[in-house]
Amino acid sequence: MSGFIIATVIKAIVVLAIISALAGFGTYIERKILAFIQRRLGPMHVGPYGILQIAADGIKLFTKEDFIPSGANRLIFKIAPLITAATAFIALAAVPLLPEFHLFGITVRPIVADLNIGLLFVIAMMGVGLYGPLLAGMAQENKWGIIGSARTAIQFLSYEVVTGLSLLAPIMLVGSLSLIDFNNYQAGGIANWIVWKQPLAFILFLISGFAETNRTPFDLLENEAEIIAGYATEYSGMRWGMFFIGEYANMITIGFLASLVFLGGFNPLWIIPGAIAIVLKVSFFFFLMLWVRSAWPHIRPDQLMWLCWKVLMPLAVINILITGLVA
Amino acid sequence: MEAIAFYTFSILITGLFLVTVFSRNILYAMSSLAAGMVLISGLFFIMRADFLGAVQLVVYSGAIMALYAFGMMFFDATRDVKEKNSSASSVFLLSGISAVILVAIFAAPAIGEHIKPLVTAAKGLDNTQAIGEILFTKYLIPFEVAAVMLLVAMVAGIVLASKKMDQSLSEIYQDADPENELKEQK
Amino acid sequence: MSLDNFKDRNAGVQNYRLLELEPTPTTGWGKFKQVLIRSVKLELLVGLKVTIREMFKALFGGQMHTTKYPFEKLPISPRYRAIHEMKRLLESGHYRCIGCGLCEKICIANCIRIDTRYDENQRKEVSDYTINLGRCIFCGYCAEVCPELAIVHSGRYETASEQRASFTDFADMLTPLDELKKQKEFPGFGAVSPNADENIKKTPLAY
Repeated sequence: MSGFIIATVIKAIVVLAIISALAGFGTYIERKILAFIQRRLGPMHVGPYGILQIAADGIKLFTKEDFIPSGANRLIFKIAPLITAATAFIALAAVPLLPEFHLFGITVRPIVADLNIGLLFVIAMMGVGLYGPLLAGMAQENKWGIIGSARTAIQFLSYEVVTGLSLLAPIMLVGSLSLIDFNNYQAGGIANWIVWKQPLAFILFLISGFAETNRTPFDLLENEAEIIAGYATEYSGMRWGMFFIGEYANMITIGFLASLVFLGGFNPLWIIPGAIAIVLKVSFFFFLMLWVRSAWPHIRPDQLMWLCWKVLMPLAVINILITGLVA
Repeated sequence: MEAIAFYTFSILITGLFLVTVFSRNILYAMSSLAAGMVLISGLFFIMRADFLGAVQLVVYSGAIMALYAFGMMFFDATRDVKEKNSSASSVFLLSGISAVILVAIFAAPAIGEHIKPLVTAAKGLDNTQAIGEILFTKYLIPFEVAAVMLLVAMVAGIVLASKKMDQSLSEIYQDADPENELKEQK
Repeated sequence: MSLDNFKDRNAGVQNYRLLELEPTPTTGWGKFKQVLIRSVKLELLVGLKVTIREMFKALFGGQMHTTKYPFEKLPISPRYRAIHEMKRLLESGHYRCIGCGLCEKICIANCIRIDTRYDENQRKEVSDYTINLGRCIFCGYCAEVCPELAIVHSGRYETASEQRASFTDFADMLTPLDELKKQKEFPGFGAVSPNADENIKKTPLAY
């Protein structure tokens, strides 16, 4: 029992360290990729190819004045960024990140908490993640903030429905909520991937995943052109940074979910071992998010709701119906 | 181990809900209520009811509390609320009685006889499958009735909300002729 | 980047064309059809294709647009009017300015001040020459009016300095003596046109 606890604590710390480092690295990657797509070089001068820009940004964030507006509710204002970051990492707890491997003679299962309802737990935690932006917007005495949190509420609530319904069809196929079962179901090559059986569910999940991580076509919560920075208007320094660590961690989580549920997870692919296969898949999804950001414009809030309730949700329900009839 | 977890969760939940009740600040009340809802799912996880725990997270914390929050955006959430309390004694009496009744309702079976599960889950099924089986066999009719009720509520909500949905509010107010409005009111 | 890009000022004749857009549908069925067609035709993917194409062009096609400015500089037009510069006579190395004061006279911002005196050979000598760059509007009249092509505009457009005087001191504006061989004529305002020789005509007085 104590061994289990120690192992879990070590795993949690390792996951936290690696993913938050990756989240920081994600900002660098995002700037670089967006720059390349716009035929620019991006950050170049801090370190080789600008890679130490992360460190520079980190130092800047840590040393910035930690500012709390006088009218704000101080406690909630301070808690809100923690909620975003924490829920993003808690969601990762139920995600099997890599296949099992041996280290110093111990079999390591790279999943912090192997729940048999892993998928549901991840969705639930990402749903709870809406409290970060929501409370942040309400706690600061700022109209942009309150508009941002109103948009958070509608966007997360609506797209949670689509996420859930789109994942329901693969769940019906696999008959389990455990992400490891999903992975094992798709063992044995590309032909067994669920994406071929559930292409519609895959597309719906991607769209709603973009909405839940508030990536570009749907980043209405902090759309600079309309509402300054939305819920993050009054934040500065590391509190602001927490929101973005949470956002990038969520992007990674969505990447993992999409690859585990639809794209064969960490099963070996041709000659590529499973661990590298899933890293490649997650990197592809991360790249896709940046790629889409560079290509597509924002949509209006009413279009967001139109898309969710009049297009995606009916499609998801029809998809479930067809899956139920066929399977 | 479980006892420690249970008491930790219980104390935290009770504390948070007390904050909800006693706080004069909407934002504190809402945040502590949401946090309490999240922690309640912890109780489900302790009892190995993983599915219910996750559903608690999704439904209560994820959806219902967010709708509360949506409602609270119409107020200034950073200010304290002044309660208008005309007769403190009657409020105290009524809420006291209802609290006692509620406690009695939920405590009575526990005191009278030890709670026994009405349905025992079939062996070899995990939590999610067991819930599914019970819902779709023994409790099929209540489940479906609840679903129909939700559907009715949803349709009613859409019908109520969708009046003049195609027009924008500013257009409605611009086009409105004051005399016509008066006639309609009469 | 060649200079031709700078010279193309014909803003009206680029190849603009109107997109052939279908009329916006008004009926519900029309809207539905439009959404359906747009989703099935995968018009959104065109945007993705364009962006990734540009990325590959930039990374592997050598079409990166960034100029790393302090290290690389774009060429400026020869007619660009930056900070002033005084030229020297190539033969003697003496400054060209004859102290006529035309630049002071023509300066519409009144920013040039010139003082002259007679030196020991009874030649006119510039004793003080300053340009108030705070007032200068870089119109180029001084360079245009100068009969000796002495005051011209240089290519120094980076005008950040701790001391404004470092741009306007007469000694600093002059070409350094050791770089006299590299001194080039200014092709911009006031310069002799390339076909100046052809344009010379006999004045009526010669008849």
